[in-house]
This record gives sequence, C-alpha cells and structure tokens, in this order.
Amino acid sequence: MKDKIFGVLQRVGRSFMLPIAILPVAGLLLGIGSSLTNATTISTYGLESILGTGTILNALFSIMAKAGNVIFDNLPLIFAVGVAIGMAKKEKEVSALSAMISFFVMHATINAILQIQGKVLADGTIAEGVLQGTIANVLGMKTLQMGVFGGIIVGLGVAALHNRFYKIQLPNALSFFGGSRFVPIISTITYVGVGILMYFAWPVVQNGIYALGGLVTGTGYFGTLIFGIIKRALIPFGLHHVFYLPFWQTAVGGTMEVAGKVIEGGQNIFFAQLADPNTTHFSADATRYFSGEFIFMIFGLPGAALAMYRCAKDEKKKQAGGLLLSAALTCMLTGITEPIEFSFLFVAPMLFGVQVILAGSAYMIAHMLNIAVGLTFSGGFIDLLIFGILQGNDKTSWLWIIPVGIIYFILYYVIFTVLIKKFNLKTPGREDSDEETKLYTKADYKARQEGNSEGSKQHHGDEKSFLITQGLGGKKNISDVDCCATRLRCTVINPELVNENVIKQTSPSGIIRKGKGVQVIYGPSVAVIKSNLEEYLLTAPDEIVENDNVQEANVTEQVQEEKNDDKKEVKNTRVFCSPFNGKADSITKAPDEAFAEKMMGDGFIVIPSEGVAYAPEDCEVSFITDTRHAIGLETQDGMEVLLHIGVDTVKLEGKGFNVLVEEGQKVKKGDKLMEFDMEYIRENAKSDNCIVVFTSLSEEQEVVMKTEENVKALDEVVDIISC
Amino acid sequence: MKNFEYTIKDELGIHARPAGVLAKEAKKYASTITITKDGKSAQATKLMAVMALGVKNGNTVTVTVEGDDEEQAFEGIKAFFENNL
Repeated sequence: MKDKIFGVLQRVGRSFMLPIAILPVAGLLLGIGSSLTNATTISTYGLESILGTGTILNALFSIMAKAGNVIFDNLPLIFAVGVAIGMAKKEKEVSALSAMISFFVMHATINAILQIQGKVLADGTIAEGVLQGTIANVLGMKTLQMGVFGGIIVGLGVAALHNRFYKIQLPNALSFFGGSRFVPIISTITYVGVGILMYFAWPVVQNGIYALGGLVTGTGYFGTLIFGIIKRALIPFGLHHVFYLPFWQTAVGGTMEVAGKVIEGGQNIFFAQLADPNTTHFSADATRYFSGEFIFMIFGLPGAALAMYRCAKDEKKKQAGGLLLSAALTCMLTGITEPIEFSFLFVAPMLFGVQVILAGSAYMIAHMLNIAVGLTFSGGFIDLLIFGILQGNDKTSWLWIIPVGIIYFILYYVIFTVLIKKFNLKTPGREDSDEETKLYTKADYKARQEGNSEGSKQHHGDEKSFLITQGLGGKKNISDVDCCATRLRCTVINPELVNENVIKQTSPSGIIRKGKGVQVIYGPSVAVIKSNLEEYLLTAPDEIVENDNVQEANVTEQVQEEKNDDKKEVKNTRVFCSPFNGKADSITKAPDEAFAEKMMGDGFIVIPSEGVAYAPEDCEVSFITDTRHAIGLETQDGMEVLLHIGVDTVKLEGKGFNVLVEEGQKVKKGDKLMEFDMEYIRENAKSDNCIVVFTSLSEEQEVVMKTEENVKALDEVVDIISC
Repeated sequence: MKNFEYTIKDELGIHARPAGVLAKEAKKYASTITITKDGKSAQATKLMAVMALGVKNGNTVTVTVEGDDEEQAFEGIKAFFENNL
C-alpha cells in the first residue's frame, strides 16, 4: 500500500515536470524583457536613446516581456494539460485535448453560475460585496480564483477518466464514439459537474488554503525554516515538487495585491512585481520560499563538494574531482542540486541531515535579511543574475547573499570535512576498494553486440541504454520509463530482477528503489539518457542471449528464473501453413490491441476471402470455445495454436459459426475445421480478421512472416525461429 | 498453499483476451497458480488450458496459489480477478 502511494505520488511529481520545464524560458523572457523596459532602470543608466520608448530595442524587449508573461498568466491551463499528459498511461495526446476541453468547461460552468447568482454582472464586472481576490479572470472568463490547483484538478481528474475509459467499447450504433473518442465526451460531462461542485466547494477549500498559508505566514521566520527543512528533506524521495508548488503557485504561499490585481503564490507575486514598474522592493514574504536557495546552491553545496574532494584518497582524487566539479558547477549555475546531494546521500545519510538543516535555515536567513531574489526553477547563478543582480540591490538586497554565502561555504566545508574524517564516511573517492564488481564491461558489450548482429535482428543503441536495460532486469521487466530534471524514473514488473551493480556501471549519482519504482539519478543530462533508452528499447531484442561464459560466471544476481514448465521448446526454424484463404499480415496489424501487442503470444493474421478454417497440418483439436469463435489446436510436436475468428466475436455467442469438428478429435492437414459467415461477422463484430496465435512459444522464439500477400489455405505463411 | 473462490462478473467470461492478460499476470510470480472449475483445472499461465475451461459469467472458480512467493502472488492475483474479471 505504501509502495502504491509512493508510486502514485512519484507519477504526480514527475507529471509536474513538463509544465515546470517551461518556467526558466518564460522567466528569462519576462526577466530580460521587463528589466530592460523598466523606466527607472533606463533612466538610472541614462540609456533613453537606446532603450527608451519608441526605440526598436524597446519594442523587442516589450514583446519579450509579454511573451514571457502570458505563460505565467496561463499556468493553470498549462498545468491542466501538462499533468494530464504526464499521468495518462497511453494515447497521451487524447488526454491532453480532453484536459484543455475540461478546463474550459469547468471554468465556463463556474462563470455561468456566478452570473446566475449575480456575483458577476452581465457586463462582466464583479458585483459589490464579493470578497476581493476570490474571482479571477481566466482566459477571458470571470471565474473562481483556483490558481494552479484548478489546473491540477483538471489534469489529474481527466487523466484518471482517460486511463479508465480510453479503451471503452460502446454498442455498435454508438461505436464511432468509443475508445479514445469517448474520453473528451465523458470529461466534458464530468467537468460540468465538477464546475458546479467547485462553485460550492471551492470557497471552503479557499478558506482552508488561506488558513494553511496563514499558518506558515503567521509563524513568520519559523514558518520559513519549517518550509525549507521539509522541502530539502523531500528531495531524496523526489516528492518535493508536490510539496513546494502550492507555496510557489497558489494562495498557500500567501496573497498580495500587485498593480491592482490580487496575486497568489510566492513565485507569482515576484513575477507580478517584476512586471509592475512601481515596485520599490520585492516582497521577501513572497520570495522566502526560494530566495534562500541561492545561498546554499551557489556557495554552500560547492563548499561540501570541495570538502569531499579534499578528503578523497590521493589515487582517486582525479576521478572524484571530475565527478564533484561537474556536480558543483551544475549546482552553482542552474541550481540543480541532486548530483551533489546524491553523491553523499546514500553513502553518508548523516551528511544529508546536515545539508537539510543548513539549507533549511538558509531560507529563513534570506527571509530575515529581506533578500528578495526571484527564480524560475531553482537558485543557480543564471537566475541570480537576471532576477537579482540585474534588478539591482535596492529592489532585491541581493548583495547580502555574498557575505552569507561565504559563511555558508565555510560552514559546509568545515562540517563536511570534520564529519567525513571523524566517521570515515565513504564519500566519492574514499571507497575501500573497487566494491562494485564489473559485471558488464565495455568489451562484454561489444562482444555481445557482434554476436547479435549475426542473427536476423540487429540491435542498435548505446552502451548506457544497454546496461540500464540489463540492470533493470531486461526489456521485458521494464513497464514504464520517464524522467524528471535529474532522475530516470522507471517502473519494473519484477523488482527482484533489478541488479543495481549493473546500473552502477552507467555512473549514476544514486539509485533509489521503492517497490516497483526505480529511480536512477544522473543529473540534468537525464533527458538525453531517457530518449536514448526509449529508442534502444524500441529496437532491443526482448531477451539477450547469454553466449558468453565469462558473463555467466559473473552474473550472480541475475535471477532470470524462467518458468519453463509451460513452454515446449521448438528447435530451429519451423514453417507453419495458413489455415485460411485471404491476405496474410503481421499480428501487430490486428485491429485489437491485446492481439497486436502479442499479449496472448506471437502469431499472424489473415484477412479472410473465404469463410472456412482448415487444419493447417495434422493435429488435435484441443478445445472449442462455447461461443464457437475460437478453436485451439495442438500440433504433433506439441505446439499450441489458437485460431481466433474475427475480433470481439465472443459477443456473437456462436451466431455465424458452424464448427465441423469436436474437442479431442484428430484431424488431417486440409480438413475443414469450421465455416463462418464473414458478412455477418463484419456487420456485427469489430472485424472479421482471423488471428492465429502461438500461445506456447518461449521468449526466444519469434514469428517471421514469409509473405504479407494473398495466401491460399495450406500455403506456407510464417517461419517460427528459435534464436 | 492458499486459495480463494471467485464468481466471474465479466459478462463474457474468461475468453481469449482476459485469459491472455491473466497468463501475463500469472507469469509475474514464481508460484504456480491453478484455476479449477467443476473439477477441471488449468494453470493460469497456460492460455489455451484456461480458455478450454470455458469459464463463463456467473461461474465460480477456485484459484489456488502455491510456491515461494505465494503471499504476494495471492494478493496480486486476487486483486487482478476483482479488477478485471
């Protein structure tokens, strides 16, 4: 149960990553655009002739500011669509469209009720007596101020509906609206209801949110400290996005009136103030959820990295130095801390405890010193430059970051050095010896690839993807691959097959496992690793053949327990003849997902030109379904063959089928097994395609089409190849 | 060894598609999972054998789980039946 919740939260967290990824760009546009069009800045530096109103540069920067701002203004919609994409299991584009529709519908519904109840007047103005800030303008509609929560409610709900209904089958008359087309329909109807519900429920939630925000705001600096500690402590679980986002983006993080508009959420307030030329000093109450990050990201953690480097063994200094330097630079420039944090988190949790407390208090110290530097994503130097230095010390008090940062650098350096030495912590470069046995070396990989290229199917892909796949227990064990800013997030089918030592060969900064979820932390380059892996998985063979003795000896943990009891091996190549007249095709073309994905086994299909099934060779009829639409055969060499006539024909309840044999009967090649009414099937079921499935093949066996043309019954149609 | 009884709610019974999904689910576990209906049994991993049982809506089957990971398999398979069949 716990694992399940972790799994869901992990998916929710990573579904935030797509919309969050746009923030740095939007922030850059808005930041550069609005600082260089700010009348005060321009006159301070005497740049009226170049940047003043009417100049081309002014026009350009104004456009940039607007382009960035529109993204912040419409974040709820962006989150609705982004979360729906992230949470949908398949056919993500359908859930994206549905989320957008639902978002419109929900807010239009709320808008309609507001008008009916007289809270919004016909001319679009807000009636008197309505509490300010509770009604907002979303995409031109006056509706309840739901902020990013509104978007997340839509995204999560639509994704749930999508995952439940995208494969729904409706009665024939309505079948056009079945499957993925049903998702926007059910979403629309549902969100009319949600809109009505929200009209009544949201004000209650709103009060709750204001109260929770009030609690953190009300407890002042102490509240900031608690926020900081919780946020940093959640990093290892990858759940921090779920936690901090409400503070950045919704009323939980406080509200403030900026330029006549009520803005909610710390980050939103900062950007509203950024766009407002009348701001004298940014609100530190708003920025306390992130301004402190500059202190420990630019100064503190690099101090820790230096401590670890200095403590590394001499012979390993070079190796550890490379790792730590790149991690420190990433952290300083972009504010992505995981590479550093994970370099010590697993080997020395004690150091992580230090990090959480130091970093948590940095938030509080920034708040106390009235430091108000905004950021889009995280507290690296790039954000400091744009939202701190360029905005000027008068507005941001960014200069304070330097002395405090230097103190933090020293604190981190000293504490880390002392603890590492005292407790002999195994930070990078201090490992006893080479603990990890090299299970898969580059040479092994090469040898293996050459071995495979001799076969019919060559596999492409880089070494890393290969190792990750192996480490996760092979292609078949991987059910889902995704990533966030720094980690590869995979779901596996059987956690026992995961071999961390193999994954470690790809030099990640850490591996986290929780039930079926496996997170491998690589740092910002993870997006590339993920796409390579996905590409690799598309072409990779299901199971890589073990043909290397050295390999065998080393693989101790590889628990590849095949359940061979139900598989009857068929050696080498075996031909199989068509039981039908018609056009042969690959099973992946079957008009039914379950068959097309080989869920029941590999095989082929025949689009019949005659309504008769023949025995493709001498065999025994092992069973006939009561609904007579499927026949099971067992060949003389023990192979099981399922003939499934048409798709969704189980619903015909036997109508249109005339079976000519009996269960247990031995038949000769060419005997008629059954007759079926193609026309009746076409009219009353999804398809008349005849599907032939080999249900007993082992994983090493593969069905290869000999022809994809018209075939006659008993013509050779496929080869079954054993690798 | 653990077992449970289940009455099939799926209108179409265990036909090809659900049998395929069931076989896939059953292969996840090391335990042997057996389905018994009216004295006839079939291993859940054997698609054809399961189909040959001809389990229909309203039929009650006994599902037996035996093996090293039977606790886990029992929970998994039970949930699978409840959610899919």
